[in-house]
Amino acid sequence: MKRAVFLSLAVCLALTGCSSGLTIFSNYRRLEMIELVRTVTVDTAEDGVNVSICGTAGEKQEARMYQNTGPSIGVAMNELTLMPLGRQAILSHTESMLIGEDAAKTRLDEVLDYVERFSEMRLDTGLFIVRDGTALDLVSGVAGKETPAADVVAGLTESLPKVGEGYVFSCREIAASLSENGCALIQCVRGEKEEKLFENRGDMNIKPAGFAVMLPDSTAGYLTEEETLGAMLILGKYESHNLDVPVEDAVLTVSVDLVKPKIRPVFSDSGELERIRLELELQSNLVSMDGLADLRDEKLRRKVEEKLSELMGGALEKVLERERTLGLDFLDLEGICERREPIKMEDMPQRWEDIFTALPVDVSVKSVLMRTYDIIDPPEISGKEEGSPWEKLTESLRGS
Amino acid sequence: MRRETSSAAPQVGESSPVTVAAVEKVFESCYDFESRELLIGGVPGRTARLCFIDGLVSGSDVAEQVIKPLTDPERFGGCRGAGDVIAMLLGGSVYVYTAKSRTQLGDLAGDLLNGFCALIFDAERTAVTFEVKSQQRRSVEAPKEEKVVKGAKDAFVETMKINTTLVRRKLRNPHLKIKEYSLGTRADTAATLIYIEGFTNEGIVAEAERRLSNINVEGALTSAAIEENIVDNPRSPFPQVITTERSDKFCMNILEGRVGILVDGLPLGFLAPGTFSQFMKVPEDHSGHFIVASCLTLLRYLAVALTLLAPAFYVAVAMYHQEMIPTRLMQSMIEAKQQVPFPTAAEAIMMLLAFELLQEAGIRLPSPIGETVSIIGALIVGQSAVEASVVSPVVVVVIALAGIAGYTMPNLDMGSALRLCRFLLVLAAIALGMFGVALGCALLVYHLSSLESYGVPYMSPFAGSEGRHVSRALFRHSMTDKKDREPELKTGSGGEAKL
Repeated sequence: MKRAVFLSLAVCLALTGCSSGLTIFSNYRRLEMIELVRTVTVDTAEDGVNVSICGTAGEKQEARMYQNTGPSIGVAMNELTLMPLGRQAILSHTESMLIGEDAAKTRLDEVLDYVERFSEMRLDTGLFIVRDGTALDLVSGVAGKETPAADVVAGLTESLPKVGEGYVFSCREIAASLSENGCALIQCVRGEKEEKLFENRGDMNIKPAGFAVMLPDSTAGYLTEEETLGAMLILGKYESHNLDVPVEDAVLTVSVDLVKPKIRPVFSDSGELERIRLELELQSNLVSMDGLADLRDEKLRRKVEEKLSELMGGALEKVLERERTLGLDFLDLEGICERREPIKMEDMPQRWEDIFTALPVDVSVKSVLMRTYDIIDPPEISGKEEGSPWEKLTESLRGS
Repeated sequence: MRRETSSAAPQVGESSPVTVAAVEKVFESCYDFESRELLIGGVPGRTARLCFIDGLVSGSDVAEQVIKPLTDPERFGGCRGAGDVIAMLLGGSVYVYTAKSRTQLGDLAGDLLNGFCALIFDAERTAVTFEVKSQQRRSVEAPKEEKVVKGAKDAFVETMKINTTLVRRKLRNPHLKIKEYSLGTRADTAATLIYIEGFTNEGIVAEAERRLSNINVEGALTSAAIEENIVDNPRSPFPQVITTERSDKFCMNILEGRVGILVDGLPLGFLAPGTFSQFMKVPEDHSGHFIVASCLTLLRYLAVALTLLAPAFYVAVAMYHQEMIPTRLMQSMIEAKQQVPFPTAAEAIMMLLAFELLQEAGIRLPSPIGETVSIIGALIVGQSAVEASVVSPVVVVVIALAGIAGYTMPNLDMGSALRLCRFLLVLAAIALGMFGVALGCALLVYHLSSLESYGVPYMSPFAGSEGRHVSRALFRHSMTDKKDREPELKTGSGGEAKL
């Protein structure tokens, strides 16, 4: 028995990646010889594909870029791992992959396949499409002397859902969407040359450019800013953003902070899918006000809320319309309905592909303005002098 | 109380008749052996030889309670012969509360070594022994190793009698039995087995009696001499009996159904059976609020995991599984490693060894010097080594964290066993990475699960009781609803120990 246990443990030992001498292969790497790759770019080249990696050899070390061209991503990447100075590049900490617009059209499936198969890569690596230029140019333009491109991209990834301008889908999410829906949304960015805001940054700034609707081997289209917002709301990727709401003599800047989307399929008595009901509940807070408006007035408040619902509902309508136009379920409505009503969806006589482009979607948005920070007696500001509109307003508020 | 002898035949002829010459032969070349001739009742020619070991007896007690009445003509002047004298002595004519008649040399020698003085009547080949023990002993003090804020401050001392008194005072129960044993073939050390009759599991009591009776050592002068002879698996580095210097902890465990052993000359009490969960508890748990005590117990379990696994996990991750390290940490680790000439494995081993050396130096040296060495050592190892790029800061942090976590162990022996395992796990991690750590942990769990202490599984209640009483090990229940004892310690069919 003991011998059997010993032998089985010895076999297991040989199969582990550990130890430099005892096992079939070795994972042993000297920490000080590692080049940590955080950003990978993929662009098309004349004779195949151009791949670059951006890595550092330590926190205070300058970020370095290495590029290589090869017939495939795997071949190009393999040569890159044998970097100058004898360092060993490891891809396990790759946070983002940026693909040039052309490469995305033709090599998206290859990129995803590489990420899925190469055990060192993480499936939660964020994927971007670089519009109007190559990914390599963008990354090298963005990176500064002490600011690696990865930090800039990571900052963008964090902030996008908070400003309502997009969401960085991971390779896992994209691959799953392509597999289930035949299409996927990918965050687009573009580089814009501008004056250096910070000494340590490069001369190019990275800007969000909405979502791209991708097929495995081509690009179906690009969503506008408003459509991107609508897609984020439906997919539950939205966190917050500020919106200008004009009412009467004032323009209110409102922060929409809490969104609860509810999507329910509605079936007929015969089990046919009749329509989809999309309800959105928003909670918002006043950020600033340009002009004067008494938000304690219930009617005005309701007006603001209606206007807000109208704006957000418009974004929803537009993205739904785009989905119908493209004939691609990139919003994964089928999946959402299946999760909501699995049995009814399974039993329905129609095929989703046949009906979803003509399926009516009832959109209803309910918004509530939570905090207005209403001030009756403002501090010493211009316009508080006697007889000014501000004074009249506060007087009337006191009277009421 | 009865006295049982675990040893083989003593050095003096046990059944030899008692004569002055035989006694003096036995204690030949013993400079502390004293003997003198006494005139019984002051009558010339009627003599007896008084013998005692100087230092073991109280000189004033011998003079006042034995010699003075014995030489009083009014008291013993009318005696007709030695037989009358012996009868009067045993009948209470001297002021000593214990008097024994001895006719065998072995018994007499044993009495002399236990603080008795002996009056030998050569012609009758009989001796009468009186207990006049010296009162020179260490007084009861507050515990030094197991300190407590809210709790009893009377720790055990080297004198067994005082220790049994401390226990008796806390457990005023006629069913509390204290059986005496003699340990050691040469040293003849007294020991007692303490338990509550009808409450402590009979199987555990019987097993403890058997093991105490079978101890075969020259002298039971150290705790290891006792422990290694009464545990189930002496080869295991993990402690299997609980040792304590605190009388309240000793009594609490007796009340939970354990058996206690006190040994003369050791300021410690031994408690059996000892299970892993018991080594995670401190008496302070029963003094503080039960929620706080429960949190602290959980913290100690976390400390076990940290002290065991932190260095091994670091070595495995840094050498083989870099993908598990968060990016920022990885960057700073790479940065710090750039100037360090040694590989990660060597760094970890060096730091572990340095830590152990510092600890040993701190313990062995006298207190003020020990503290200074610790401080200087910590500064050298911690700061200077990093500044000199001998080791990277992360290694220092990891090893220090593991070391500090190890200090939270309530039991020193458990802490030492964990330190040993920590080394082995680091070596396993160096050789095989995470697989090595997992393998080491599996072997450790296998070893711990296979241990038993007096028939009780060592990992009870985590193993062996279907996990029903796990909460009792992890949390301290409120005293108002604390009705449950460990099932293995109970008497009756449900809790019979498997011996």
